[in-house]
Amino acid sequence: MRSLRLLVAIVMVTMPVARSLADETCMSAYMPKITGQEDYVYVWTAGAEGVGDGSDKLVTIDTNPKSPSYGKVVSSASVGGRHEAHHGGFTDDRRYLWMGGLSDSPIYVFDVATDPAKPKLVKTIDTFTKDSGGVTGPHTFFALPGRMLIAGLSNDKDKGGKTALVEYNNNGEFVQTMWLPDDAPYGYDVRVQPRLNRMLTSSFTGWDNYMTEFGKVVSNPEAMKHFGNTMVVWDAHARKPIQVLEVPGAPLEIRWALQPRHNYAFTSTALTSKLWLIEQQPDGTFKASAVADIGDPKKTPLPVDISLSADDRYLFVDSFMDGTVRVFDVSDPHKPKVVDEQKIGAQVNMVSQTWDGERVYFTSSLLANWDKTGKDNEQFLKAYRWDGKKLTPLFAVDFTKEGLGRPHHMHFGQNQFYKNQIYGSAGARNSEVARAE
Amino acid sequence: MKRLFPLAGLAVLIASAGAAALESSPPAHPPVGAADASYTYTVGPFVAEYEAPAPGSYTLPVIGRVEDHPLLDSAGGSTTLAALKRDRLAVIAFVYTTCAEATGCPLAEAIMQRLDRRLADDAGLARRVRLLTISFDPTRDTPARMATIRDAFGPHTDWAFLTTASETDLAPILTDFGQPVAKLTYEDGTWTGLYRHVLKVFLLDEQNRVRNIYSTGLMNPDLVMNDLRTLAVEPRE
Repeated sequence: MRSLRLLVAIVMVTMPVARSLADETCMSAYMPKITGQEDYVYVWTAGAEGVGDGSDKLVTIDTNPKSPSYGKVVSSASVGGRHEAHHGGFTDDRRYLWMGGLSDSPIYVFDVATDPAKPKLVKTIDTFTKDSGGVTGPHTFFALPGRMLIAGLSNDKDKGGKTALVEYNNNGEFVQTMWLPDDAPYGYDVRVQPRLNRMLTSSFTGWDNYMTEFGKVVSNPEAMKHFGNTMVVWDAHARKPIQVLEVPGAPLEIRWALQPRHNYAFTSTALTSKLWLIEQQPDGTFKASAVADIGDPKKTPLPVDISLSADDRYLFVDSFMDGTVRVFDVSDPHKPKVVDEQKIGAQVNMVSQTWDGERVYFTSSLLANWDKTGKDNEQFLKAYRWDGKKLTPLFAVDFTKEGLGRPHHMHFGQNQFYKNQIYGSAGARNSEVARAE
Repeated sequence: MKRLFPLAGLAVLIASAGAAALESSPPAHPPVGAADASYTYTVGPFVAEYEAPAPGSYTLPVIGRVEDHPLLDSAGGSTTLAALKRDRLAVIAFVYTTCAEATGCPLAEAIMQRLDRRLADDAGLARRVRLLTISFDPTRDTPARMATIRDAFGPHTDWAFLTTASETDLAPILTDFGQPVAKLTYEDGTWTGLYRHVLKVFLLDEQNRVRNIYSTGLMNPDLVMNDLRTLAVEPRE
């Protein structure tokens, strides 16, 4: 028993990570945003054996406190089977949600606009690998005007980390593939800053690692060599890589600052537990600097997801192993300071905040084979209120008890938005955010 | 943004027309300002802070293809997209002329005007390009209104200002281009006078294939000009 505990401990401290999020403050700049109270959070949920129908599904939870079903699951759309449901994203008009699977690379397109309370699966793209010339593991979905830009994680030749960016038009027709450069072949996240015509990509690992039982990966020194240590700066318009940045330890989520003249982005490195600033220099090139530790790096807390507030002040950082969120004040992006630290659960993965920064949502799952086991395998969505100092619980949904599975990526929906209604005061808060600079 | 400054007056003129339209809303409703309709993620005025990549140094993949559609010109005459464009390249902006969203239609039209002036200075390229502004507000944007707007912009090229006879005629065009627009209403269903839309300006090649789509964060005149030049030097198929 003792040796088992030791093995678990070793596994835990060396475990790499494969998760991310898409919150309201990190969406494509080309997409309409939801301000005010969100009515729903859509949760892309990986099926778990023995839990409900065991299939991947898009779960819709009512988040409007004025609704009688507040905090409850209001619909669930199963796709049939388990495909390592992970991430997804809205099209540029926010009418469709494209959701990906990392195991056999399907893309599911849900119509969210027709009935925001009950998204409907309307299309399945099962030719991603064939279309793209061998890319697998569709991860980040980033809307471009009329198109969807998808960052892959792997390839079908060697199932390693060499991968590409892939574009489809909004009708689901393949447009083009752009492979990552040979000296920085890994992929994970992709985010565009239109104002600078710059695009950043980050790096994780390939299919062989993320689909392998976690203990086997960490006990294989050769496997552990195959994690990304780079980020790539691209000319966004030309879709050409122009600079490779050394960011050791698997840089995952990328968050560009939103305010004018804030020509920088943040990322966190899963294996080295650092917060990194990716900042444009006076000559136009970019520089990557580690600006803070996330918890105690020696304990490998495994930061997995980050969320930047719309005024560029607060950065929420989730770490999986200790189930903790740390809120950094990044007003000075070179000197982040922890202003709050709270345990969310036995494990926590993704964090999504609303545009006004008042509500923050967390989900628990990392990857099917990497989630904790036994009583620590908590699977939940938890909602909190953020007052600038601390997080106060609002509601929680137990995804195991509800027969749903392992909750991953979150996106927000709103009835008013899809009815094309506005209220006279709807833009006020938005304007305040815009003036915050 | 300073490069667009000379156009600010016109933008204000158009925006004030939008404000006037809003003032006609029933007083029972709260006032609706530009911020209410401004709903894309770009924070603050969009200012391009980069040098556009050189023409021909990149490719523009085919995104899709559009069909021919009936339109009304600013004299009220019936025409079609194909008749206006023929075998030229085209930059097509979908707008409504009372739009008050600073980073929406006024920005698009200001940049269309800049493209018009740049093309006028490059006769070789101008012969191969048609600028088209198409309204998605057939009720208010009559041919006469489009003629007024055209006069205000004073095109130096054959930049045309189009509208449609009805929402029935308009719908297939918007569907074909993938440009959804919706009338924004109050809770009681009364129209605010505003449309919800993501700004989209389309670059078509000679074969009516969509080669780029510009939204708020991409509407940079240098970028559009370089895209036109990139297509112009492409080997003919």
